[in-house]
Amino acid sequence: MADDRKRMFAKHMEIKYTKEHGTNKMEGGEITDMTVEYHRLGVDQNPRKLEMKKAGQELAKKRGLVGYNPMMHCGGIPLGQRALTPSFLSGTDDMVEIDDLHYVNNAAMQQMWDDIRRTVIVGMDMAHETLEKRLGIEVTPETINHYLETLNHALPGGAVVQEHMVETHPALVDDCYVKMFTGDDELADEIDKQFLIDINKEFPAEQAEQLKAAIGKSSWQAAHIPTIVSRVTDGGQTSRWMAMQVGMSFISAYSMCAGEAAVADLSYAAKHAGVIQMGEMLPARRARAPNEPGGIPFGHMADIVQTSRVDAEDPAHVALEVVGAGCMLYDQIWLGSYMSGGVGFTQYATAAYCNNILDDNLYYNVDYINDKYDGAANKGTDNKVKATLDVVKDIATESTIYGLENYEKYPTTLEDHFGGSQRATSLSAAAGSAVSIATGNGNAGLSGWYLCMYLHKEALGRLGFFGYDLQDQCGATNVLSYQSDEGLALELRGPNYPNYAMNVGHQGGYAAITSAAHAGRGDAYAVNPLVKIAFADKLLPFDFTQPRKEFARGALREFEPAGERSLIIPAK
Amino acid sequence: MAYEPQYYPGATSVAENRRKHMSGKVEKLREISDDDLTLVLGHRAPGSDYPSTHPPLAEMGEPECSMRELVEPTPGAKAGDRVRYVQFVDSMYNAPSTPYFRSYAAAINFRGVDPGTLSGRQVVEARERDMEELAKFQMETEMTCPALASLRGATVHGHSLRLPEDGLMFDMLDRCRKEGDVVIMHKDQVGRPIDKKVNLGKPMSPEEAAKRTTIYRVDNVAFRDDLEVIEWVHRVFDKRTTYGFKPEN
Repeated sequence: MADDRKRMFAKHMEIKYTKEHGTNKMEGGEITDMTVEYHRLGVDQNPRKLEMKKAGQELAKKRGLVGYNPMMHCGGIPLGQRALTPSFLSGTDDMVEIDDLHYVNNAAMQQMWDDIRRTVIVGMDMAHETLEKRLGIEVTPETINHYLETLNHALPGGAVVQEHMVETHPALVDDCYVKMFTGDDELADEIDKQFLIDINKEFPAEQAEQLKAAIGKSSWQAAHIPTIVSRVTDGGQTSRWMAMQVGMSFISAYSMCAGEAAVADLSYAAKHAGVIQMGEMLPARRARAPNEPGGIPFGHMADIVQTSRVDAEDPAHVALEVVGAGCMLYDQIWLGSYMSGGVGFTQYATAAYCNNILDDNLYYNVDYINDKYDGAANKGTDNKVKATLDVVKDIATESTIYGLENYEKYPTTLEDHFGGSQRATSLSAAAGSAVSIATGNGNAGLSGWYLCMYLHKEALGRLGFFGYDLQDQCGATNVLSYQSDEGLALELRGPNYPNYAMNVGHQGGYAAITSAAHAGRGDAYAVNPLVKIAFADKLLPFDFTQPRKEFARGALREFEPAGERSLIIPAK
Repeated sequence: MAYEPQYYPGATSVAENRRKHMSGKVEKLREISDDDLTLVLGHRAPGSDYPSTHPPLAEMGEPECSMRELVEPTPGAKAGDRVRYVQFVDSMYNAPSTPYFRSYAAAINFRGVDPGTLSGRQVVEARERDMEELAKFQMETEMTCPALASLRGATVHGHSLRLPEDGLMFDMLDRCRKEGDVVIMHKDQVGRPIDKKVNLGKPMSPEEAAKRTTIYRVDNVAFRDDLEVIEWVHRVFDKRTTYGFKPEN
């Protein structure tokens, strides 16, 4: 099967490596060639590098202090001694410059993280019980609508209750809003549509039933504070900003006394008892607030990405979109910037979501599983294969060897994934996601990830970098451990899990393996139905149904972000 | 019965080569003079004394210590040498060695070495003269082909790139060139020009490289065909996994 298969990366490799881009002279040849001519053309071969070089020169002139100068690289030998080639976002035909996949150069990537960090989910039922049972105030769909209208004024920074207040300019905070959702169809019918995330409308019927069964008749608010506020402060600000405005809006909407004791109960509910953060608070040694990327469990990431509700029949696609989102946030932003620094992490991360190399590996696996295990890779629960070590070994070994042989048969893919850590991420994400899809079990998928690492190391006599190898040699030992601080269900593990804390190139893969298990089963969510529903919202600037497409739009400078300051700065 | 180290499983030429590298029983193919080695390593001028970080151990009046009596210091440690490095890059296109097998070879056959293993490069740090002994050994033997492996202290990019027509692994800093039928190095490990061209010897032919390599490739010895190695990897995987699940077993 392997040799007859048309490779999904073939078209992208052909354009990257046999067609000229800019003036890189990469014209002709085959993607299977093992030799090539290196022209050593430097940065002038690439349009984006040229633009950056010019900007660096202008900057130096303007400020009287040198800045970006590509000739500072390696004592006067600039980048571009090999051909500088563009990349395609996997699953798309969008060709981009690789520089534009650094989050600094990509507004869509920034907005994805903004939209997660500025989101908090708040229960409404506790507040309603306080109003009804303690104060005897009637809560009806009409009062809820009035409250939501008030909060949509107040949450962005509009004043309620008090006089002579400073307010934020609506045009600077136009991305801020709150919507509600509920598993109670009767109540949902009574809520003004502008305020409602309609589960029945946004999800396929089967998933909507699962979600409503999971949350029952409870009611929740999905609040998104202004991007600009979140950027100036941190993720910990999200619940605080929300809770203050929620409290004020309750006082205003229900004509409460500003000082009465019940307000403290509303405040407690909004700040603590009824709050779902996207990310847990991190321990002191990492010193991060809630809603920072290191605290976002892989299960939450799987639920934040929304591909599962728009392409439920294709579990591999669901996992691949989670890979993209996860690698960008966990590798490029969390590890690459919060935990480390510089620009190198982008190279690791993009390998997993560019040029269809991982996609090809995973879809090959889907075919392999369906052939050998009677359709176990199709969406469903009755078709899954039992998660045993023999099954893990069979699927992960076939997946790994197929992927390794692609690098050998198609030297351009090896050149594209020019570092071992890139290859290791791609191969292991394919193996792990495949086992997950076949078994519906994320920890079995994780087991496949580790076996892939072992096989890869032995086949090539190399794997990733020091720390990469260390963590992947010991990881299998805690796949099935549930002892505290050693193991957990994969859904509940996250970037701060002890063995993963400095694990570049892995966390997007782990999130994908989590998501693959549930997408393979046709589950509506991986770990938290509230998170899944909160992001089923077209009003968010970032489209979470297609993260990779959004990154392409960012790289192509087509993405419109929120939180811009042009209103309050001099026009250029 | 004397213990015979087995080193590595497998029934293929790649597995056999891995055993050779680990055992240190490799064929010497070329000569590199001490001065040439010093030049390309780039740590000191040829013929100069080894810089030291402490007096010779014999002059230091070491404390009484059973471990110190038990472990003979390496020559570099005895002399008080500073710690320096040698770093190799090995091509994916049938280079004789690979990072892990360079590390195993170093750790098994040399004392006082600190190998570091990455995907594109492999570094060994040691007292300077001890490091030089290892570097010379690896450069002179079948562990190294001067076209498919090179010394690169920094800017190591190239192990997975396609080969140019002359067969020399891509090097952004252009440290090596083919001259006639040999490879010469005209810059040191970190790309600083050196005073003379150092002859690293003849490259291996593609056939010879395929015969001597420790890397599995589908166009030479396919990994999937070495069933004993795969079975062994599976066994390691099984044991590590079930140990974590049920430590009492």
